[in-house]
Amino acid sequence: MNNEGLKDLLYKMADDALIIGHRNSEWTGIGPMLEEDLAFSSMAQDKIGHAQALYKILHEILGEEDPDKIAFLREEKKFKCCHFTELPIGEYDFSLVRHFLFDHAEALRYEMLAQSSFQPIVLLAKKIKGEIKYHTMHSDSFLKQLGTGNEESHARMQSALNYAFPFALGIFEKSEFENEIIADGIFAGEEELKKRWLEKIATIIAAATLKLPHVDESKIAYGGRKGFHSEYLKPLLDEMCEVVRTDPEAEW
Amino acid sequence: MYGNTSLTEEEAKRLNLTEEDPIKLAEFEDRITRGEKIEPGDWMPKEYRKQLLRMIEQHAHSEIVGALPEGTWITRAPNFRRKLALIAKVQDEIGHGQLLYSAAETLGKTREQMLEDLLNGKSKYSNVFNYPALTWADVAVIGFLVDGAAIVNQVINSKGSYGPYCRALERICYEESFHLKQGHDNVVYLATGTKHQRAILQDAINRWYRPLLHFFGPPDRNSQHSEKLMKWKVKLASNDDMRNQFLDQYVPKIWELDLTFPDPNLKKNDDGIWEFSDPDWDEFKRVINGGGPCNAERLEVRKYAEEAGRWVRNALMSKNEKYVMPMA
Amino acid sequence: MSSLDPRIKRLDLKKTEEGEVHTNTHLITWEVFHQEKRGKQPMHVGAVHASNPEMALLMAKETFGRRGKTTNLWVVKSSDVYTFPTEDEDMFETTPEKMFRDPAYYKVRDRIEKFQNKQKV
Repeated sequence: MNNEGLKDLLYKMADDALIIGHRNSEWTGIGPMLEEDLAFSSMAQDKIGHAQALYKILHEILGEEDPDKIAFLREEKKFKCCHFTELPIGEYDFSLVRHFLFDHAEALRYEMLAQSSFQPIVLLAKKIKGEIKYHTMHSDSFLKQLGTGNEESHARMQSALNYAFPFALGIFEKSEFENEIIADGIFAGEEELKKRWLEKIATIIAAATLKLPHVDESKIAYGGRKGFHSEYLKPLLDEMCEVVRTDPEAEW
Repeated sequence: MYGNTSLTEEEAKRLNLTEEDPIKLAEFEDRITRGEKIEPGDWMPKEYRKQLLRMIEQHAHSEIVGALPEGTWITRAPNFRRKLALIAKVQDEIGHGQLLYSAAETLGKTREQMLEDLLNGKSKYSNVFNYPALTWADVAVIGFLVDGAAIVNQVINSKGSYGPYCRALERICYEESFHLKQGHDNVVYLATGTKHQRAILQDAINRWYRPLLHFFGPPDRNSQHSEKLMKWKVKLASNDDMRNQFLDQYVPKIWELDLTFPDPNLKKNDDGIWEFSDPDWDEFKRVINGGGPCNAERLEVRKYAEEAGRWVRNALMSKNEKYVMPMA
Repeated sequence: MSSLDPRIKRLDLKKTEEGEVHTNTHLITWEVFHQEKRGKQPMHVGAVHASNPEMALLMAKETFGRRGKTTNLWVVKSSDVYTFPTEDEDMFETTPEKMFRDPAYYKVRDRIEKFQNKQKV
């Protein structure tokens, strides 16, 4: 089994989950309705939990540092998250559209990983299947209702989708180990995932009366998987690590 | 979390019961004396409804505003365990607000009207949330001591006479026990940690000491006691009694960590009553009236949340549906 | 105003409107029932505001199912729940006295013992 490719896959999944979970947790306490505040916060907690579980696999099985060190004391260029997860929360339209686009990709990725030759990820995929099901059910319900709600909500959702889509496509940036992990049966690959994702989201976007924008390959936000990040990741990490860095040796 | 939302006693003095049907009033009071709860559809004195609504509403506001001071550190919690605990804790405050607004709604005011009154300064929330959370240690002190104070208050109020409020409080107290434990855990880690950790913790305790004494409201000697509200089990314990119970439970837990409170006069007398220096009740009044360090920001942030979320709510609203209050 | 909260600093607070806030966006009120385990009664736990049944369930899950076990949730519009007015509680007043419906009302052990003692003689 190709350990480098496997690690690369787990790191990018974990970093995506950590950063989008961190971003979405920013809504806790300031959401648009009390009930939705609770729902969105729970999903953010789930994502952070997924990140922790993936870092734990990296630590316990693949010999990487412990999860707290990996998450809170790693330099920016070692992160493998895509730019999409790094963007600020913006207004609720953007946060919901990101949640919709990202969570479907995540759900399908875990669905594919349920067939992986790497057993620990199969177990994790099985464990969190229900959580992720709720996430996509939630995002689909909002997308449809706001897409068809009123003129303002439709316009907002469409423009959020137009803005988000080139970033979302950056999720599927291929790793340098792409062929190896496919050959080893670890993961069926980004190309396959993207194909399934486009099929999946197309029907929901249509039901929401929204249009999928056309995106030139040159506009897709790549780079994150190779450690080249948007301007937003560095400040996010500085903030996230502010307390722990005041005394990295201390137990918090 | 919760704050002192005990009724202002000037209001309580003005209780006017002459208009009420004496037979119904007697039945109502007998029911409460028998230890039975009042339920939403029951006849109740106007004044009971009014005072209870005000109290539950203020409690609900205190929850959603109370989410903000700790929210200050949500993006900076230092490890996975603390990060998840803090997000879940702040989330619970919103959840408590949700439960309490529902309980208040059964008395005949919509959640939206209540939020409007909060944002327009017509309805108050607990004073304690007008202070800033300056360092990570504030999260620990709030989680342990402010929530500790809130639990004292809420456990007492859960024995009150209004069914929906009691039910909400029971659920809330159950969740608060997690808040308290995670707060204590955080305090203990800082207290038994490095010099820097102990220093920020002591500093936070010093700053929260006075607001914590203020939390239960002015001393009994300065406030007219409403026998009526006690009889109706709207108010169940005096401010001083609650404060004393809090000090009794929590001061020793700070002292055992070799930490101090910034008050040389703080001590327990032989009669079980805690003594402390005058915590400056003028400051308490100043902060209640908008002069605290964070009053403006707290309301401004709630206002932002309200306005930024309006388009979402508008789009979800069905124009044909009439407002219906929750059942219980 | 300079907030200590980095999240708040990123919000554009200046955008809030001047003057009084008005809001009239009532969503539908739903009663929520929670079933903890298979085989247990679903219990009424409270209410949520939501726009339709699907959304009410999604909201109820995180409002009332964040902790412990949940098997399922039910939601029903508050306006679809019918109850007696509370002053009709007196209809139930004499029910506890109807001892003939109570198993504890039927005690024959004394009679059997008395019978057995009589037989022995």
